Amino acid sequence: MPLKILLVDKDTNRAEALSGKLTASGFAEVQRVPGGDGITKALETAKPDLIIVDMALPDRDVLEDIRAMSAAHPVVMFAGGDDPSFAEEAIAAGVCSYNLSGVALEDLKPIMASAVALFQRYRRVEVELAATKALLEERRLIERAKAILMRGRKMTEPEAYRFLQKKAMNENRKLREIAAEFVRHHEEQQA
Amino acid sequence: MTTKLRIGLLRLTDGAPVITAHEFGFFAEESIETELVVEPSWANIADKLAYGFIDAAVMLPPLALAAELGLRGKRQPLIIPYIVSANGNTITLTTSLVEEVKGLAARQNISTVAALAACLRARQTTLGVVHTYSTHNLLLRYFLATAGAEAERDVRLAVIPPASAVEALISGQIAGFCAGAPWAEVARRAKVGAAIATSCDIWKSAPEKAFAVSAHWANEHDAALAGAIRAMLRAAKFCDDPKNASYVAALLSRRRYLDVDAHVILANLPGGSAGGAKCGFFSGAVTFPWRSQGMWFLKETRRWGLMDKDSDARELVTRVYRPDLYRAALAPLGEPVPIGDWKREGAHDQEWSLEAAPAAIAMPPDSFCDGAIFDPSEVWGGTEAAKMGALHK
Repeated sequence: MPLKILLVDKDTNRAEALSGKLTASGFAEVQRVPGGDGITKALETAKPDLIIVDMALPDRDVLEDIRAMSAAHPVVMFAGGDDPSFAEEAIAAGVCSYNLSGVALEDLKPIMASAVALFQRYRRVEVELAATKALLEERRLIERAKAILMRGRKMTEPEAYRFLQKKAMNENRKLREIAAEFVRHHEEQQA
Repeated sequence: MTTKLRIGLLRLTDGAPVITAHEFGFFAEESIETELVVEPSWANIADKLAYGFIDAAVMLPPLALAAELGLRGKRQPLIIPYIVSANGNTITLTTSLVEEVKGLAARQNISTVAALAACLRARQTTLGVVHTYSTHNLLLRYFLATAGAEAERDVRLAVIPPASAVEALISGQIAGFCAGAPWAEVARRAKVGAAIATSCDIWKSAPEKAFAVSAHWANEHDAALAGAIRAMLRAAKFCDDPKNASYVAALLSRRRYLDVDAHVILANLPGGSAGGAKCGFFSGAVTFPWRSQGMWFLKETRRWGLMDKDSDARELVTRVYRPDLYRAALAPLGEPVPIGDWKREGAHDQEWSLEAAPAAIAMPPDSFCDGAIFDPSEVWGGTEAAKMGALHK
């Protein structure tokens, strides 16, 4: 009989990827819920053996309450005392699981391992995306600051850039901060 | 040499002293390099403490006791050497239910809680609390019990994260909730709920969040722990002064902390408009880790079957609550500290004076809504009580 898994994740792409992977392995039947209101209902109807949950959601506190509601089924956090290093890895990746029906740890390990790997990969992508966004924002600010200087003080583009660079060096601050401050200041004066 | 200290907290107003001490550099002045980790759930706080991702947390005292006993997830020895806040909780109901309860109370000339109990019994109702092992769960159950209403029998209690409570009120999933600031104010401003009672209506000067520290970290860094207590006390004095409230509100409203409008936060700060739901951070020995208060939480947790009665209550509370560390940290400052570790809880319906050294401390009323007085010695029997000594009247 396949293991019934309830996957609580707001990130639809990640949830789809994980559920696809687990279903393809043949030993799991996955139901997905994005968190919030639907969790309690999904728990009642799906009666899962295992819940995998994104730690970035506040819903973990809701899940912990099911211990009280279903006294017959112990709610155990995955790898509680058995394998602390694996639990640590899972927490670091931002995923947690609750073992509801006492399935053996060995059976759950491959499932959690794929969840951990996937969460790590998504986290890496998020970090890269944030870095790219920050870089774009920095470029945008510098371009804005240069345009203000070129228009207001009749500088050429290289002059404007050197002006900002020199100011950053003199004040021992990042070029990005100087540009942001310059743009903010200019906008305040305009307003 | 600086010591690193990672502190977990939730998006709540009562984290103010820790956020202020961090932002104002009070920790840094004690040679502590703090990192504040804002988490979305209490479960995350407990797990990150258990697996060493954070060293300390602004935590619900009943949850700290549950984590210490391994009642949820991995067992983690914790100590509580400092209390971060008092009060600040509100029972919010849908606006229609508030009208119904108040109407009934006026018509039949009965107390608000009696009217609330009657309304809850009249139909199947669900109220939200923030965690099973929360002060909110215990206070709400206590309040309802004074009117003879019991969770499960007369009302269903569900765990609802406070940030989701407004949504749950609108969708009808719950008819009310008990949560800390600023969430009642958020519901009020969204015009979906109104307050029916505050923590002051249940237990005046009720202890709220504790500063829970991993026992392992505390053992390794006793000097840094003492420094952290001093830094938080300094910040607590700042946060307790109504003159500083708008400053504190602005600080807390930042995206990396509460990410809520500063005006909403202001209501529950000292001097704010939230009446009995205002947080207390310093005056009235709020910051002292009273063992008797730990015992009250333990007794109430057991009362509702959320914890079994096998463990030695006195031993547990004495191990977790550490007034000795509090005193040692503050001794160099000449700050008045209580002489006893235990007191009778709820014995004062007027202001009173607490025996403390080097000077007495002016205390606010601390009575329970039902007039009960909690004598911690009752929990472990009469013979032991004699050994307890310094029990305040």
